[in-house]
Amino acid sequence: MSSSLHPQPRVSFASLTPNNLGTVRKLNSVLFPIKYSEKFYQDVLLPDTEEFCKLVYYNDIPVGTICCRLETTDGITKLYLMTMGVLAPYRSKGLGSQSLQQIITAATSNIKPKIDSVYLHVQLSNTSAKTFYERHGFKEIAVHENYYKKLVPHGAWILERRIGGTETVA
Amino acid sequence: MAPSVPSKRVLPSKESGLFKELLNLYESRQLKKGQKTADQILKKFPEHGETLCMKGLILTHMGRREEGIELVKKGVRLDLTSHIAWHVFGLIQKGEKNYEEALKSYTQALRFDKENMNILRDAAHLQTQLRLFDGLVETRHTLLKLRPNLRQNWIGLAVAYHLNGSLKDAKQVLEHYESTLKNIPDYDVEHSEVLLYHIRLLEELGEYPKALGLLDVNAKSRAIIDRTAIMEFRARLLSKLGDHDEAENTWQALIEQNPDSYEYYKGFFSNRGIDLENVTGDARQKALQYLRDFSSQLPRAAAPRRLALDVADGDDFKTLAEPYLTSGLDKGIPSLFADIKALYRDVGKQRAIASIVEALRERLASQSSSPPSESESPTTYLWTLYFLAQHYSHTADHKHALTLLDEALEHTPTLPELLMYRARVLKRLGDPFGAARSMDEARVLDLQDRFLNTKCAKYRLRAGLEEEAQELFGLFTKKDASSPGADLEDMQSLLYLTEDADSHRRNGAFGLALKKFHAIQKVFNEIEDDQYDFHGYSLRRFTLNIYLDLIPWEDHLRSHASYIHSAISASQIYVQIHDDPAAASKASSSNNLTEAEKKAKKKAKKAAQKVQEDSKKATTQSTSTNEDKGLDLTPAKDDDPTGTKLLEHATALDRAWKLLSPLVSLAQENIDVQIAIYDVAVRRSKLLEAAKALRYAKSLDAEHPELHIRLIDFHKRVSSLPQVPPAPIGSVINAALAELLPEEVSLETFNSQYLQRHSTSGKAVLASANVLHKLGTPIAEVESAAFGALNPEVSLSIQTAVDILAFLQSIGSSRADEFRTTCNAKYELSTVFKLPSELAELRRVAFVVTEEDKTKQEEAS
Repeated sequence: MSSSLHPQPRVSFASLTPNNLGTVRKLNSVLFPIKYSEKFYQDVLLPDTEEFCKLVYYNDIPVGTICCRLETTDGITKLYLMTMGVLAPYRSKGLGSQSLQQIITAATSNIKPKIDSVYLHVQLSNTSAKTFYERHGFKEIAVHENYYKKLVPHGAWILERRIGGTETVA
Repeated sequence: MAPSVPSKRVLPSKESGLFKELLNLYESRQLKKGQKTADQILKKFPEHGETLCMKGLILTHMGRREEGIELVKKGVRLDLTSHIAWHVFGLIQKGEKNYEEALKSYTQALRFDKENMNILRDAAHLQTQLRLFDGLVETRHTLLKLRPNLRQNWIGLAVAYHLNGSLKDAKQVLEHYESTLKNIPDYDVEHSEVLLYHIRLLEELGEYPKALGLLDVNAKSRAIIDRTAIMEFRARLLSKLGDHDEAENTWQALIEQNPDSYEYYKGFFSNRGIDLENVTGDARQKALQYLRDFSSQLPRAAAPRRLALDVADGDDFKTLAEPYLTSGLDKGIPSLFADIKALYRDVGKQRAIASIVEALRERLASQSSSPPSESESPTTYLWTLYFLAQHYSHTADHKHALTLLDEALEHTPTLPELLMYRARVLKRLGDPFGAARSMDEARVLDLQDRFLNTKCAKYRLRAGLEEEAQELFGLFTKKDASSPGADLEDMQSLLYLTEDADSHRRNGAFGLALKKFHAIQKVFNEIEDDQYDFHGYSLRRFTLNIYLDLIPWEDHLRSHASYIHSAISASQIYVQIHDDPAAASKASSSNNLTEAEKKAKKKAKKAAQKVQEDSKKATTQSTSTNEDKGLDLTPAKDDDPTGTKLLEHATALDRAWKLLSPLVSLAQENIDVQIAIYDVAVRRSKLLEAAKALRYAKSLDAEHPELHIRLIDFHKRVSSLPQVPPAPIGSVINAALAELLPEEVSLETFNSQYLQRHSTSGKAVLASANVLHKLGTPIAEVESAAFGALNPEVSLSIQTAVDILAFLQSIGSSRADEFRTTCNAKYELSTVFKLPSELAELRRVAFVVTEEDKTKQEEAS
């Protein structure tokens, strides 16, 4: 009965375009303590990252973003998770997990280029974020001292999840 | 055929053959060849009228209009008894939309060729367009006599009778027609339409049993194929016949087919003697029970639930409103408030709605701290805040509305509706700049949303940001148009034309404002012209029922709100120019051009250049190709881009009257129209018209503040006439005056009594101060009367305060600035009482500047 009273929330994703970039800017400005450069907003519109940069909609309202970039060194391509965030009232509803899963699925099926792994930085104090990523198959591979210039603590964990390997999500 | 052919028309057999060829070439639009053939004849017979006309017609089709028309006129003069010459002349006039003159030419043509089908048909269309129905019946009769085997000739006569109000004759024609029909194919749409028209005719004649009989027979035999129409006719006819049970079944079936059609519910209830618009007494419970049944039978339909809210009262209302509102907020229906707003006419319902939604807000707010998995969707809370903001702004508590919107934006900053509504509240608080900015914030969230874009441009116009508004309009208009405005004008955007005209008027650019108001008039002329094609099309395709709805709709076209607004506003400008020619010259003198006007001039220049180039290209092309440009008049190039000609003083009132005159019959119930008619009529010395308008206005609202001013104005004008108007008029005017104003009290007393009756109305205070001024009261007294509007017990809207300020400035009051500063303090969030220097700063904050823009600007500097 209660499910008919309160219909299941609709969660959906949309690609970034020059037209909805204003929404991304608005979300970033309230989600993160850092002001992102214009380069950031240019990169997220690049055609080959379309599947890895998304707006997250909850009941048709944009409430979060997830943005990655492709990095290729020595012929190996990695996906770097730059930002992921959801507005406070919409947290703990599985939106983060669904977003991350969306990206991992897209990375797995990406052929040109083939993606080796996804990695990201988490501030040393943020253990809940670390746990979250570990639940999705990420592993700590290193600590980057003095990663954050303006935030304390300065250090960050580097977490990585291999793509296309043997690992599966728990 | 005329008995004898005049000798100058007779051509030798070679040329006569060429002429026939010329006619054929024209019919198949081989213009180039036609022109050559005509020249061949003219070489030997340069005075041959019919050939000259045909050549003129061909040249006009090729875009060489002026030259062509010259030839046609010459041809007609040379052969005044040729039906071809008159027919061609009529075609040209029809192309110019000069229907009266075209009909005259056709009538001439018919004198010399009484049985020409083409000319008769065209004449019938012109008679319909001109609503000359007596003549139409005659023409259709002739057509039917000439070709009784053509189906559409029968229908044409029936429709002509119908339009002329002779329904019985129309019926006879139809009966006759149907009796002659043989071998009708199955599923014939045209026949089906004719039968439905026949039934409609019988219904209008009140012959319900016959109508129902005809319907049932032809529904059963499947001759009528529109199943929905059959049911609708059936339900209506059964209701009218008093067969209520059978009717109810049919209405019920219709509702099940389309459960959100309000018309069907109206029919269902009126069949049971319940008027849904006005439910009282016992009917209420009965109606509610029906609606409850419908709601449970049709779980997906919104109409019965919404209708129940109209019908219910007291506790019933609360019980029904709560699930309605909760489900709307749960689903996140943005238009929920607009949907239920009409219920606010009932104060009890308004309070009930407020308490339901407030309770929901409190419950949801306390939940936000509980574990998220158990609480309801955060979007429900968001839409609840949005709804309440609209509720409080609607009930004039704008500040509370702003607080709620701020809370909602804190919660979810990415919902454009919140920013849009915030813009609306700021607009209501008198801050057009803040409003424009908030709308811009909404716009940048989704740049591909044309609705947001247009709204934002409109808000910029409201803030007087003319050029910045054009930039936004330009994002969604055709790139090859000479300007965004030109494209929107082509697209007949009434919203744009109205807002742009109003904006120019507020900025004092009267010429540009008038241009746009006249552009609105043009749109309505075009819509009126557009029906012309349907006089032929609808008969050819037998779409009779919709056609018979179209004709009366066209007759009421100008009762549209946009037309009324443009006519009133333009007439007000014209009256202002008439009373103070300096106002016009100020607005038009080139040193005083506003920025917008200068821009308009520049743009127009560019556009004119483009048009010229285009037409040059076109003429060079048209001499070498067969391209048919048709006979319709193409818009001439705009030689008055700033509307200076419209500001011309001597003819201002005539132009105003031309705009207002359709409204004399179409908008009688609109008091603003009556006041505008008075203002123009009295200045054109049409005292009877003026008196009539005032009497009508008085019957609509005897205490209207604008009417109060006009009553005194009329009295003053009449008593200052050098002599009493001649016999019949003079006594009528005096009688009207006696009816409008009490004779036993002085004008001064009349005015002070009016103020006493309406001492708490800001508009009435302004009206009585205005009258004091008209009566020659010392300025200090007028001023103190106007300042009375600032008393705390007076309800004074921002607009009225602005009007009072303008009034004080217009009479040269030294206290105008005092009034301004007081208002500036009184309406703390408004910006309309700021000084021009302060406004410059505010203009700058009216836009969202993104980081991207900033870097661009830095790079540029």
